[in-house]
Amino acid sequence: MRLSSLTRPESLVPLVALGTTVVAFALLPAYTDSGIASFDVYNTFQIFARLGLVALALGLTMIAGEFDLSVVGTYALGGMLAVQAGQDSWATGVLVAVGAGAAIGLVQGLVIAGLKIPSMPVTLATYIALLGLTSSLSDGLSKTYSNASVTLWVDQTVLTFFSPRSLITLGLFGVAALVLGVSRWGRELRAIGGDRRASRVAGVRVDRLVVGTFVASGVLSALGGALLSFSLGSANPDPGVQPLILAAAAALLGGVSLAGGRGTPIGLLGGMLAVALLAEVVTVAALPAYVTQLFYAALLVVIVVIDAPDLRNGLVRARTRLRPPAPTAPSTRNDTGALHA
Amino acid sequence: MTTLTEPPVATAAAEHGSREPGRRKPTASDLVVVLAVLAVVALGLTTDRFVTVANAKAIVTSASLVGIAALGLTLVMIGGSAVSLAISQTVAAVGMIFLSAQSLGLVPALVLAIVGGAAITALQGAVVGYAAANPVVLTIAASFAITGIATGVSGGSSVSASGRGYDHLNATPGGLALSVYVLIALVVVVEWVLRRTRFGRTLYLVGENRPAARAAGMAVGRTTAVAWAIAGALFAVTAAFTAAFNTSANVNLGGTLTFDAIAAVLAGGTPISGGRGSAVRTLAGAVLIAAVSDILLLRGYSTGVQVMVKGLIVLFVVVIVHVRTKGRHA
Repeated sequence: MRLSSLTRPESLVPLVALGTTVVAFALLPAYTDSGIASFDVYNTFQIFARLGLVALALGLTMIAGEFDLSVVGTYALGGMLAVQAGQDSWATGVLVAVGAGAAIGLVQGLVIAGLKIPSMPVTLATYIALLGLTSSLSDGLSKTYSNASVTLWVDQTVLTFFSPRSLITLGLFGVAALVLGVSRWGRELRAIGGDRRASRVAGVRVDRLVVGTFVASGVLSALGGALLSFSLGSANPDPGVQPLILAAAAALLGGVSLAGGRGTPIGLLGGMLAVALLAEVVTVAALPAYVTQLFYAALLVVIVVIDAPDLRNGLVRARTRLRPPAPTAPSTRNDTGALHA
Repeated sequence: MTTLTEPPVATAAAEHGSREPGRRKPTASDLVVVLAVLAVVALGLTTDRFVTVANAKAIVTSASLVGIAALGLTLVMIGGSAVSLAISQTVAAVGMIFLSAQSLGLVPALVLAIVGGAAITALQGAVVGYAAANPVVLTIAASFAITGIATGVSGGSSVSASGRGYDHLNATPGGLALSVYVLIALVVVVEWVLRRTRFGRTLYLVGENRPAARAAGMAVGRTTAVAWAIAGALFAVTAAFTAAFNTSANVNLGGTLTFDAIAAVLAGGTPISGGRGSAVRTLAGAVLIAAVSDILLLRGYSTGVQVMVKGLIVLFVVVIVHVRTKGRHA
């Protein structure tokens, strides 16, 4: 019991990840000449805003026990649509992008929930198709966004540390935390991620929730893409694989499990902030980029070890074998042991 | 070619229908598959310059590099470890090893590359097999580690060949790229390993039901690690050909290979959940994607449209395979 509450990964993992990176950030003056400027904090939130919504989208589907690989496809498409439809009015651009994101999420959710297909191959296919669609919309070229006042507005400094873009991103994390914390959706989302059959029996409307999660994921990713395009003043048809890998790393560092049933939006926020802080530390300290890569690798290996069931069981077995008066409690899982007691 | 070793599609559907005559209609999915095949064939036949020897060569050549890596991924997927997201990075790192070892001669460089690829990937497979680690998270971690180490060692610059031996891999005996012959030979070997060896049969069982395989006393960890080792060796073969073709290698050598390989395996109809699939199916998937891209290219569609259609093919096959096999494996 004590062990399980200490190592509860949905709070421990983001705390450790965020803690490590905050310490690294606070130590910045030790290895650079200048102190920490408020600009560094602003910049961290800008990096956070760049990928935050994609990480939130991916993380929400992971909590529900799915894995939406298409987020980066929707992100690219949303950015492209926002630029192409929003040349005159940013609102039209955002609406078109978000509408497309919602439609993509709806179709994927219906296919996955309706046919009970594993989401990874479906969303992988959608990811490839969406990248192709985005590229064919722009003939494979970047599209410039000529509405400079919008570009200036989304990145202007607000309250020293923020920009409208990072505040919108933070706000959406807050909305997600509030909705999942207050309503029963939060519990139900974790329930369908943990044991879908049991939650169906318990009266959770599983299919509806899965479809809703994918719609939310599509909307968030498309909005993230639109904000990025406005900020850069252009839309890039091929964001590459890096955003997906970083968003997945952020979600995992946020305490979400790929097995599903675990995680909160606040944890995701912590994980994403850790990724952003690390990127900022590396930039300011002018560390070679491969240090970041190795750092991510190390963090993810720790997560893998925490999450690997057979390894954990093996460790628990080894520990119980070491103690001479072996208790009668089953050595498999702490939580089932607690249920029996 | 595919009908030789695959279970005939019609029989499978008939079985399905007789065992579970319930709410799903196998006849509907049969019709969809037949129509789709007819549509592709009709499109090909009506496309100018599609039915030529030169074009057939172009198709198999473009399928060969992705196909070899996809063969490796097929083993991973059959064994129930879903996917590796580190294929591009492994190929890039091994390509760099291969080119920088050229001064030793072609064969030692090739051996070094294959051993390197197998070792990197087997290590991941061992963690997945023995500790039941999540392969997606683990291979994301591995992709960071491989790129990080490769960048650190190479100083972020491109590696160029230290000898000319690699040029033999660019040979075109009989007018066909060497990689095509290698692909076909490897398909035969992998198919034989999967069907005729104890390892192959164990791999299907591990993928189908890991706890049952473990309960039955099978070497789950070792089987998984060996499957990943073979996969790594096959990634290394792709890496050697890719590096030889490009004559230099950096950390971006792998390009979009990870997703291309997954697309080829899935388009062949191997389900991501494990326990089923074959080398021949993956070959068919790789050729199907290459052929359809080729049709679109000849008809003047942009790269974007080709990529989009590739995604839609994968989506179509994933859904159809799932609908058709659900009843039999419920």
